[in-house]
Amino acid sequence: METHEDDNPTTPAPDPSEAPTASSAATGGAAHSSPDPGPRRLYKSTDDRMVAGVCGGIADYFGIDPVIVRVIAVALVFAGGAGLLAYVAAWLLVPDRDAEPDDRPGRTATIVGAIALVLAFGALSSVWGGQFGGWHWTGPFVSLVFIGLAGLGIWYLASGETPSVGGARDILRRAGFGLALLAVCGILATAGAWATAAGGGVLVASVVIVAGIWLVAAAFVGGARWLILPALALALPAGVVSAANVNVDGGVGDREYRPLAAAQVRDTYRLGVGRLVVDLRDVDLPAGDRPLHVDLGVGQAVLVVPRDVCVTTDARLGAGQANVFARGSGGVDVDWQDEREAPAGTTRLVLDGDIGVGELDVTYEDPDSFAHDHGPGAAPGNDACIGGSRG
Amino acid sequence: MGRRRPDTLSLVAGLAIVVFGAVLLLDRAGTLDLRLGAFAPLACALLGAILLTSGLVRRD
Repeated sequence: METHEDDNPTTPAPDPSEAPTASSAATGGAAHSSPDPGPRRLYKSTDDRMVAGVCGGIADYFGIDPVIVRVIAVALVFAGGAGLLAYVAAWLLVPDRDAEPDDRPGRTATIVGAIALVLAFGALSSVWGGQFGGWHWTGPFVSLVFIGLAGLGIWYLASGETPSVGGARDILRRAGFGLALLAVCGILATAGAWATAAGGGVLVASVVIVAGIWLVAAAFVGGARWLILPALALALPAGVVSAANVNVDGGVGDREYRPLAAAQVRDTYRLGVGRLVVDLRDVDLPAGDRPLHVDLGVGQAVLVVPRDVCVTTDARLGAGQANVFARGSGGVDVDWQDEREAPAGTTRLVLDGDIGVGELDVTYEDPDSFAHDHGPGAAPGNDACIGGSRG
Repeated sequence: MGRRRPDTLSLVAGLAIVVFGAVLLLDRAGTLDLRLGAFAPLACALLGAILLTSGLVRRD
C-alpha cells in the first residue's frame, strides 16, 4: 500500500530520551507506565546540519532558531578561536541523535574533546583578559585545529563520505589522510606551475590529458575519484602560469644592471622571479631608436632612464600594473601601448615589455626611492618626447 | 545481469580535464594564445562542472 504524507502527518522525530507524546499514547492503545524521562539530552542534529550538526543540536535543545546559534558560533571563532575549539569539542563529545550506543564517542574522543574545551576557555580568556589573560599559547593549538579541520575537509571532498563521529582515532585518521592528500596536491601544484614556467608546459599538459583519459576510462570500471583532486592540482596552477605567460628562464632573485656606456646596454634583460632594475641614467645613449626588451616572469621590473631620453612602450602583463612615469594601468591581461615620437637628434628608447605577473615601472627616479613614491601624483615624465608628458 | 553504470563524476571530471589539458597544450604549442581573462572562466567552468556533477550524483 502506498503511503502518502497527508496520511501520516509529519511530526518531529521522537527523542528516545523524552517522555511518550500524547499522540503515541493515543495511537498505541496499550498504555504503559512511562519511566522517568530523565534529563533532556543534547544531541547533534541529523537533519539540520551545516558541518556536523552541533549548532542545530544546540538550537534544538534550547528551542531556538539554529541561525542564532550559528551566528554566535561564527562570532566566537574570531574570539581567539574559542568558537572553533568549542565546536570541535562538541563534535567529538556530543553524540548523534540516532547513533547506536556503540557509535557514541569513546574515551579517546572524550579526552580530546575535553582538551579542546579547556583550550577554548583559554583562548577566550586571552581575548577578554582576566585571571587567565596571559594564555597566548593557545595560538599554535588553534592553528593545529585549523590544519586538522582542513584535512577533514579535504578528506570529505575527496571521499564524498559524510563526516560523522566514529571515535577520535577515526577522525584523526581521516584528517591525516586529508592532510596527506593536501600535501601531495601542494607538491603537484608547485611542480606543475614551476615546470610550466620553466618551459615544460607541453609535458605538464600531456600529463593532465593522460589523467583525464584515465578518469574517463576508470569511470567504466568503478571510477577513480581520488584522481580528480591531484589532476586539478596539477592542471589549474599550470594553467595560470601558462595564461600569464610566466617564464622563469632568467633565474630567481634580485638583479640590478647599471651600465656605464651605450655598448654595455643589452638588447634584452630577463629575470624569472624577483626584482629586475635596469638603470640607464649613467649612459649617454646615441640619438635615434634604441630597442630594449624586458622579460620578467613574476615580480617587479624597473627601468630608470635619463631625462633626455624619450620612451615609447609596448608592454604586455598577464596580471599586474604598468607605471610609465606618471601614468599607469593595472589588472588582468594588461596591454600597455604608449607610442611616442622623439624630436630629431633625441634618443628614443623603444621598450618592449613582457611581464607574467607583477609590475613594470619606467621612471627617472632612483629605483629605491621610486619603490615608495610612484604612480599618480608623481612627477610627469617623457618630457623629451614630442608632446611631452601628454596624458 | 545488467551492465554496470559508469561513474558519472569520474566521467564528467575526466572529460573536463581532457578538454582543459588540450587547451593548455595548444597554448604551450603556440596554436592558441590563452590569456588570464579567458583562463578564469575556463577554470570556473571546469570546477563548476565537477562540483555540479558531484552534487547531482550525491543527490541520486
